[in-house]
Order: sequence, then structure tokens, then C-alpha cells
Amino acid sequence: MPTSSADETGRPPAYLQVDDLAAGYGASVIVNGASAGVGHGEIVTIVGPNGAGKSTFLKAIVGMIPALSGKVRLGEEDVTNMKANNLAKRGLGYVPQVNDVFETLSVLDNLAIGGYLLSRPGAARRMEAVLETFPALKTMLKRTASKLSGGERKMLAIARVLMLEPRLLVLDEPTSNLSAELSRMLLEEHVRRLGKGGTALLIVEQKALAALTISDWAYVMAAGTMKVSSAAKDLLARKDIGEVFLGRSTEGPNVQRASGGIC
Amino acid sequence: MQQLIPAFGFGLITASILAIAAVGFTLQFSVTNILNLAYGDIMTACAFAAYLANHAGVNIWISLVVGALFGAVFSMLLNRLVYFGFVRRGTRLFGMIIVTIAVSLIIQNLLLAIFRPTFFTYEASQGPSYQLGSMVFTASQLAIMGIAVVAMVCVHLLLTQTQLGKAMRATATNPGLARSCGIPTDQVIDAAWLVSGALCGIAGVALVLNTATFSETTGAAFLVPIIASAVLGGIGQPYGAMLGALTIGIAGETAAALMSPAYKDVVAFVILIVVLLVRPQGILSEIAAAKEVAA
Repeated sequence: MPTSSADETGRPPAYLQVDDLAAGYGASVIVNGASAGVGHGEIVTIVGPNGAGKSTFLKAIVGMIPALSGKVRLGEEDVTNMKANNLAKRGLGYVPQVNDVFETLSVLDNLAIGGYLLSRPGAARRMEAVLETFPALKTMLKRTASKLSGGERKMLAIARVLMLEPRLLVLDEPTSNLSAELSRMLLEEHVRRLGKGGTALLIVEQKALAALTISDWAYVMAAGTMKVSSAAKDLLARKDIGEVFLGRSTEGPNVQRASGGIC
Repeated sequence: MQQLIPAFGFGLITASILAIAAVGFTLQFSVTNILNLAYGDIMTACAFAAYLANHAGVNIWISLVVGALFGAVFSMLLNRLVYFGFVRRGTRLFGMIIVTIAVSLIIQNLLLAIFRPTFFTYEASQGPSYQLGSMVFTASQLAIMGIAVVAMVCVHLLLTQTQLGKAMRATATNPGLARSCGIPTDQVIDAAWLVSGALCGIAGVALVLNTATFSETTGAAFLVPIIASAVLGGIGQPYGAMLGALTIGIAGETAAALMSPAYKDVVAFVILIVVLLVRPQGILSEIAAAKEVAA
């Protein structure tokens, strides 16, 4: 249960609804009773200190690890513990923090595999559209993904996931290896545009301030559960919560400076 | 020098069999992440399956198809019923190697119990001989080389031109990400066992066709050059395995001609050791490097 919850009126009806989720690795339960929702066209960011269980929460939603209890609903359907490949068919796209591309394959192959579920003409059409969105990729189609820079690589990862035009896009720390400049471009340009286009976005982000400025809704996660559920702009306005959850993470004062530089 | 050219001919035949086997072995590893050391014994089991068909009056080339089908189904079931249980429980690469060694011993001793310790031969004519320069090939040797070329072309087309090949390459590189792209990786892995098992079966029957007699240890004895070929090419790389098979096959037969047949495996070992010293990731190394298991 969120200890502080804002008025949720005005939020779009939830397309992804997660209730009381528990998940972890082996015997250690990392996420315990976490709930969150994302509506069509809504950008939702989960922030919180390292080790809060943010990535684990995402992994359990997207079928990378089993949910131990709780419920995940996508549209009208219960998709708890559904295999990731079946979730992809239902319009869920996921970009992990690491291992986010097929390293040994070319940029072109990465995109082609992203369009695995499409017909041949459908994949060709999407490839064109995606390269229109990320024109820089056009010049490096033959390059092996492992040889890309951090920014190019993340661009490829997102281009790859967009091949299927997901209705819900889950991004795990999309800016973690990017410069401040690239982070801002990714979030303010691409993520914002996707939200405007009707895609539901669920994002976990260390660069909390940068992410919150483009988000509609935010959750603060700590110790495996959501402590705060609030409109992003309200959260940004609260001085105290900023100190506790955004600035003073377990990494110490450096993080504060890094985050400060981005906003 | 005079015996070198015929030796080169023998080398081509060995390389053909080796290529079929090594491509199957390396494909199996790259997609499923299991270094299956029972591969040689499965080759023997397939040779026996073909033997039963052959001695029931079936033509040897149709018996080869029987061997391939047996290899495909046997390998897939072996994974589903034995290997997958360990993988699900989190057994890692090295632990799985031990499991495959156990399976290797079980298969070999089961074959010994069923067929008894003696030598077997197919009922097949080698056909007429053909002279190519100073190399002489029998019709069945030419057929083996033809089958190898066709198999390699098929593997190439499978990997580069089909949806399944795309799914296999994706699963080999990053199974989690492949799933989130909508690829049913469990079925892809089944398919990889079927395809590599069929190659294993073809190689097993071709090996016996070429050596004329076989026993329960024939395939296992062939495992060293198979692994040498696969590692030489960069484990997990089908094209590398083809290249490795050509090198090991021809070098082994040349050494046999120049010194003694006893040196065949020694040459394979020496090449393997030199490659491991100079370029441990193999000639074509992308996948091996990605999996951090450079032999």
C-alpha cells in the first residue's frame, strides 16, 4: 500500500495493471506486494534507491522471471506469468538495461529479429518507419551491434522494440550508459513522442529528475514496494521526497550531482 | 610426394564427414548452450539404426535417411527428457558437460548390451571407382562428399534465409531478448536438436560407410576430430566448423600418409593445441566470445 497517494482522478484507465506483485531470485524475495498502473499514452516512471526492486518488478511483469504472487493484467487479460514471447504478441515491448541488443548480429539483423512476428512486407514497412525515426541507424546497418557506441546501441535497442509497434513499452534504465545530452534527447524527444502517439510507457530510471519532467505519473519504490504514487509534477515539487529518494541514493553524493546536472 | 595427392583425396572424404558432424555439434552448442559430448555415441546409435534398416533389406541410402531421422528424434528426446531437467535446475556449462559424459557412457554400454562386442558392416556396394587425377574415389565416397556439400548449403540457407534460422541465431545470441521479440525459444531449441541430430545421424552412417566396419565405440573415437574442428572454427560458428573440418580432415590424412595412420588424431590434437595457444577464441569467434566460453 502506498503510504502517500495522490488523487488518481484524471489518469487514463489502466492498460497495464499490476496488483500486489511479489518476485525475486531463488529464495530471496525482492519485490513484495508492489502495485502500479499505466494507461494508454501515459508515461509512468518508477524511481527509488538502488536495490529497491525496480528492475525485478519490471522483469516479473515482462515474463523474464516468475511472479511469486500477485496479478498482472494487460487490457482485459490476466497475463500473470505469461511467457515473454506470448506477451510480445499482445503488444508488450521490453528493453532491458543490459543485453539489450543481439550483440553478435548486425544492426539490420537486430531490426529484422525485432520484426520476427510480422509478415515480410509488414516487417519491411516497419523497418522503413523505424529508420525514419532513428535516421542515424541507416548508415550502420551492416555493423555488428557489439561495435556500436553506448548511444547508438540504446537507439538500436529501442528501434528494435518499436518494430512491433508495442502498445505498452517497458524500459529499464534506458539512459544508464548515455551522456546527459543523449539522455535528454532520448527521454524528451523519443519517449515523449511515443507517449503522445498513444503508447503506454513504464520506465525505471536512475536519472530521476530528467525522467520525471517528461512523465505523467510516478511511483517511488523502496524495499520492494511502492511508497509513493503521485502525479510526476507534484512529486517534483516536493522538496522532502526529492532529498530522500532522488538525491541521496546508496551511491552517495555523486549521484546527486549527476542528477542535478541533468535537470 | 607421390602419396600426398591420394592422401588429399582421403582428406576430402574425411573432411566431408567431419564437416557434417562438426556443423551439427557446433549448431547444437550455439543454440542450446550444451556442449554435448555424447554426440559421438549418438552417431554410433544412428549407425546402428541404419544397420537394422539395412539388414531388414532396405537400400543403404534409404537407411541413411533412417539414421538421420533416428538421430533427429533421439537428440530432441534426449534434451527434453534428460538435459532440459538439469538446465531448468540451473546446471551450468561445466556441470552439463559431466551430464553429457554420463549419457555418452550409458549409450555406449547400452549399444554393447544390445548388439554385443563385435564388428558390423552394412550390406552395400561401394559402386564403381572413378579416377580424378591421381585420386581415386568410389561411387559411395563421391556420394558422401555430395551429401556433405548439400548439407552445408542447406544449413547455410536455413540460417540465413528462413524464419527458423533467424530465430536460431537470435536464440543463440541472447535467448531472453529473443523471447521478448516474440520468438518461442523452447520450440526453436527443439528444432535445433532435430536439425543437429539429423546431421549427427547422417555423419554417423557416412562414417561407417567410409570405414566399412563399426562397433559401439566408432562414433566416440571420432569425437576428438569433431571437437577439434568445431573449436578450430570458433565454437558455435557453423561456417567456422566447416573450415575447421576441412583443415583437420586434410591435415590428418596427410599425416597418416606421410607417417602412419596412428598420427591422425595426434595431428588433430596438435592443431587444436596450437589454435588454443594462438587464438583461443577460434578462427571465427563472435559467438564464442559472446558466451565467454572460448573453449
